[in-house]
Amino acid sequence: MRVLTGFLCILSGILLSSCGDGKSSAEKFAAEKILLIGNNSEPQSLDPHKATAVADGKIIATLLEGLVRPDPAQEAGVLPGAAERWEHNERADEWLFYLHKDAVWSDGTPVTAQDFEYAYRRILHPQFGGRYAEMLYPLQGAAAFNKGETTWEHVGVKAVDAHTLKLTLNGPTPHLPQLLLHFTWSPIPAHHVEANGGMFDRSSRWARPDNWVGNGAYVTEAHHLNNYLSVTPNPKYRRAHELKNKGIRFLPIVNGYTETRMYLGGKLHISNNVPPEMISYAAAKAPQDFCRDPYYCTIFYRLNTTKPPLDDVRVREALSLAIDRDALVHKVVRGAGTPTFCFTPPGANYRAEQPAAASLTQQEREQRARQLLAEAGYAGGQGFPTLELMTTSRDVQRIMAETIQAMWAETLGIHVEIRACEWTAYKAAQQGMEYDISSSSWSGDYLDPATFVELWRSGGGNNCTDWGNPAFDADTAAATATGDAATRCHHLQQAEQRMLQEHPIIPLYHSERTYLRSARHIRGRQPRLLDNFPLDAVEVVP
Amino acid sequence: MIKLLLRRLGQGVLVIFVLETITFFLVRMLPGNPFLGERKLPQHIMEQLNSLYGLNESALVQYYNYWKGILLHGDFGPSLVREGMQVTEIIAESFPVSLALGVVGMLIAICIGIPAGMLSACYRNRWPDACIMLLAMLGICIPAFVVGPVFGKTLGQLPGLSVAGWDSPLCIVLPALTLGLINAAYLARLTRGGMLEVLTQEYIRTARAKGASGLRVMFIHALRSGLLPAVSYLGPAFAALITGSFVVETCFQVPGMGLHFVNATTDRDYFLIQGLVLCYGILIVVANLIVDLVLIALNPRLRAQGTA
Repeated sequence: MRVLTGFLCILSGILLSSCGDGKSSAEKFAAEKILLIGNNSEPQSLDPHKATAVADGKIIATLLEGLVRPDPAQEAGVLPGAAERWEHNERADEWLFYLHKDAVWSDGTPVTAQDFEYAYRRILHPQFGGRYAEMLYPLQGAAAFNKGETTWEHVGVKAVDAHTLKLTLNGPTPHLPQLLLHFTWSPIPAHHVEANGGMFDRSSRWARPDNWVGNGAYVTEAHHLNNYLSVTPNPKYRRAHELKNKGIRFLPIVNGYTETRMYLGGKLHISNNVPPEMISYAAAKAPQDFCRDPYYCTIFYRLNTTKPPLDDVRVREALSLAIDRDALVHKVVRGAGTPTFCFTPPGANYRAEQPAAASLTQQEREQRARQLLAEAGYAGGQGFPTLELMTTSRDVQRIMAETIQAMWAETLGIHVEIRACEWTAYKAAQQGMEYDISSSSWSGDYLDPATFVELWRSGGGNNCTDWGNPAFDADTAAATATGDAATRCHHLQQAEQRMLQEHPIIPLYHSERTYLRSARHIRGRQPRLLDNFPLDAVEVVP
Repeated sequence: MIKLLLRRLGQGVLVIFVLETITFFLVRMLPGNPFLGERKLPQHIMEQLNSLYGLNESALVQYYNYWKGILLHGDFGPSLVREGMQVTEIIAESFPVSLALGVVGMLIAICIGIPAGMLSACYRNRWPDACIMLLAMLGICIPAFVVGPVFGKTLGQLPGLSVAGWDSPLCIVLPALTLGLINAAYLARLTRGGMLEVLTQEYIRTARAKGASGLRVMFIHALRSGLLPAVSYLGPAFAALITGSFVVETCFQVPGMGLHFVNATTDRDYFLIQGLVLCYGILIVVANLIVDLVLIALNPRLRAQGTA
């Protein structure tokens, strides 16, 4: 019956519809103060404990307010969110957050410290199986609790009273407010979750758009799968009077070509991504709207250091030096990146030290690469086994792999086979170490170099190269143990340098986001390294 | 007739059962699992998720549980990627869109393809025939991912029409036209072939000899039999159309079933794949059954066999 009704609605809509009034969707929605934004993919869930995608995070950020919120005025700035103020001890490993006493959920129930404790307990509880539980591992005892090795009483989260939350961390964490901006640290309405199946019910309907309760600037209005999810101002929100728009529509447009056509056809105010092949077209068609922002993301190749000849550091370095990164960035990704020999992108008061290779010319690098390969016993590529370069089936990755394949053949005389896999098979092979060379990317979850450097800890889940170095681990441990920002930065730089000297990866470029933003309709939006500019600070004008 | 109908239904149920069984085991043989993400999950979390959804059991036990859920509770299982949503909810939301798109697309295909095929047969080996067949060949050869964006870029600028998206009822026009024209090309060729064969039959010559006009011969005497190949094609084509087209849905951002088909497979959303295959299987069986009935109605020889 539902299918029939839907079908009849659509058909009758076609029959009843008249031709448009000549205005584009972007113009019509701008007049209504509703923001139309491309959001890459259909959200997996609005439950912050089940969501994992960046696209989900963007919606959740409008629906739930964590202890702090991003400052629209400055990169890496934080403003009071659900907490009106906070303080920490000298070591910055004990934090007290004082919540707004007048804050309520969208159903009118007060937001309490117990809601935060409930949320953190839920995502960390082994019975729930939170996929992003690791984000809360800086909390004392969180990792052990998540693995079922200890009880909740030993975890560093405590609701002191209804409006005071105490967080105890494993070590000094002066950058905690940056971590708290991630959606996994959002509160959830304990009373509503309990009324909808309880803490461990993964099929709970509490976060369904038609049953939503949140404490953010907006509440869900409508959700149509693969079409759009719309949010409308939350009248119970503390700063509801400051909101500039009457709603936001998130459109899950996976295909960058379709999205760019839709933007240029007046269907969006902000797009998510202009693919490299369309950059010059989009920039020519809408020069005022085309944006190219730095992004906290690095594109690199992982090398399986267990497989000969990649277990030889000279071979790994030769492969790295033979790649002409400038050509790659300018010809393949059409300038949407900055060539690099480091892993961590600049930002958050951190700049990795460039290795010596960065100061050489490409010709000198190639000469050194040939020399290193000869020292490893493969002069001119003689006797070098055929390696496999694994990529996803995305066009840009395949073209990049073909370019690098040609560079290696020309410079080193070696041949690699390209294996393009669909995404899940690619991740399974990468995480199972069933590859030789794997194209990879890493974007920061929060604005701090640790989210990049700590990836390479020995045995780390996302290392996937089997590379490890005790000195590197000691450096990252020292960085975690210190509360002094400068010392911490120094340890992380030192660790990264150690890793880069042994070449378990080949950094290629720090990527940039290319997208379209209507200069006519959008006001107040600023570029952010994490692409997390608060949407409640963006204004749509007719 | 009823016996034939029952026999076909029985065969259909068997086909669907075999289809579901093969799909069930094949998707579990694919590398990866539904919970793979950008970050590698700790082993204990992966085990917990597998246990929650019964994926830690052997494939045979999972298979038994799957059918038990469907037959005893009408439960087609949850989506493993969009946790909290049921497979039936996802299909119920996207199927009406694909159905509307498929119906409009098929109407366009029939309205253009069949008259074009008839016209082509009438003017056999003359310039209208050559033009129509050239266009039909182009329609078959040019893929939807070329036709779609070209329509979006050109016709999408017309007032009321849309470059892509699904925010007004007229958004259906261009994707339906893309699907319709591709199918019209096939229909035109099939209709032409069927009509040419019939037009050489002796009863047509007799009708002409008796003084029947060209139009009468074409519409009253030849069309019924000449349409048989096209009707045979229409059944599976219609089922394919109303279960969505990934390419057209992607080009025009249509929220139909085609997107789910491909995404569920790449995401290893096991229960959703099963549900979609079941839905597609049922539609194919029903469409073929309807085609059989139409063919019987059109063809007196088949009718005689059916009655016998």
